[in-house]
Amino acid sequence: MPTTNEVAAIEVCNLTVRFGAGAGSVLAIEDVSFSLRAGEFASLIGPSGCGKTTILNLLTGLISEQPQDGVRVLGKTPRAGNPDIAYMLARDSLLPWRTALGNAAYGMEIRGMPKDEREQRAVALLKRVGLGEFVDAYPKALSHGMRQRCALARTFALQSPVFLMDEPFGALDAQTKLQLEDVLMDLWSTYQRTVVFVTHDLAEAVALSDRVIVMSARPGRVIADVPIELPRPRHVRELQKDAKFHELYALLWRLLEQGMDT
Amino acid sequence: MRQTSALTFAAHVLFAAAFFGLWELASRGGLLDPTFFARPSGIVSYLWKGFITDGKLWLELAYTLFGAAVSFVAGSISAVALGLLFMVLPRLHHAAEPYLTLLNAMPRIALAPLFLLWFGLGVGSKIAVGFSLTFFIVLSATVAGIRGVNCDYLVLSKALGATQQQVFFKVTLPSAVPVVFSGLRLGLIFALLGVVGAELIAAEHGLGQTLAYLQSTFSMDGVMGLLFLLAFLGLGVTTLMNRLERSLLDWQ
Repeated sequence: MPTTNEVAAIEVCNLTVRFGAGAGSVLAIEDVSFSLRAGEFASLIGPSGCGKTTILNLLTGLISEQPQDGVRVLGKTPRAGNPDIAYMLARDSLLPWRTALGNAAYGMEIRGMPKDEREQRAVALLKRVGLGEFVDAYPKALSHGMRQRCALARTFALQSPVFLMDEPFGALDAQTKLQLEDVLMDLWSTYQRTVVFVTHDLAEAVALSDRVIVMSARPGRVIADVPIELPRPRHVRELQKDAKFHELYALLWRLLEQGMDT
Repeated sequence: MRQTSALTFAAHVLFAAAFFGLWELASRGGLLDPTFFARPSGIVSYLWKGFITDGKLWLELAYTLFGAAVSFVAGSISAVALGLLFMVLPRLHHAAEPYLTLLNAMPRIALAPLFLLWFGLGVGSKIAVGFSLTFFIVLSATVAGIRGVNCDYLVLSKALGATQQQVFFKVTLPSAVPVVFSGLRLGLIFALLGVVGAELIAAEHGLGQTLAYLQSTFSMDGVMGLLFLLAFLGLGVTTLMNRLERSLLDWQ
């Protein structure tokens, strides 16, 4: 039982989002509620257009014209630039005129961390994600996987307790994806962040998460909230051979299909 | 690698030798009339005289280069400044756009007589023509560069909490630099073009003026010599800008 004064890391309560007004308006999200404990890793899955990215954008405060009652990050209303949040996109968005080091340090630089400190952190994280030898390389010299590793370093270098990740590995090939998922697990187990992870890839959702929240087709509703009781630490590549992993995968598929039919 | 570039160089030398050799032979043999087509040996002796023996071409070259340099510097600085102002004040940009398009559509060389009237026979009118060409090229490059910023970079920076200043200095400006730079490269060539063009029409000094004079006196050796000189000048300027770009923007 949580104590009464414990604040959930993320709280989404009876969220309904409608885009546009009048007859042409679209009900994007209907009565969605979920909450995450600090340090929890939750994936959001659902068919395209079910509002997963909209929920993330609401949490980051990037959509400010929508009502945000019922959406709380560490007990506060979302606003753009909230230092409690680190955001990671599908495309790496590395700045091509900055080296790997400059990119890994970019978030900290924007948030005003002193140069020495941020560079030290950036180098440490680049080493951690396997880019120790590419600190001075420009993005053009890095492969897709390496670029996304650098983006991971940029994200984890931030001291934000809450991470919002929008299909960060969506553009990678299957092999590279597994490698990067392992890198993410390694970092996450060290840094203990609360993560909302949006993905289309069920295997990825099962392998990484403590919980998988399944949404229906538009209007997006939560149709299931599945705990993933696989032991940690996990090795994503090992999991591919695990029977329980495949059971959960099949369960999520069924739920997802039900959500598409309704 | 080295061997192939040496081979390429040898091929170029061979080609040039054959080309000028045949030209020389043809004009000596009476196939090409040197009154119309000049003659390589005549061109060399003209340039030799102009630059070495009596050195009169140096002054003309200096006039042209000075005019081009001033038009380029003034034109590009004011164009970049206006482009940045447009970014800060999009409404001003919107209001000014049709007028700028109209001005840019005017054939600048046709304006040269007007500029001559306003700014005199001297270098002033040459700078006006060069400026009017460079300015619009660099302006449209600056506007395109600022508009062309990758949206992901802006979203990421906004999500991180970047201020408008931070976005400008850390994202918009560095991302616009390569586009602005290609505008500058083109602008420099056009500054030279504008100045020489205006000199051709009427001037007291400059390579264009010399060219016009030689043409009217049927000194084809001189005309050809100056055309080669201008071509190499353009080539040199472009090479210089490319080198500069490669060393400044090595991340590309």
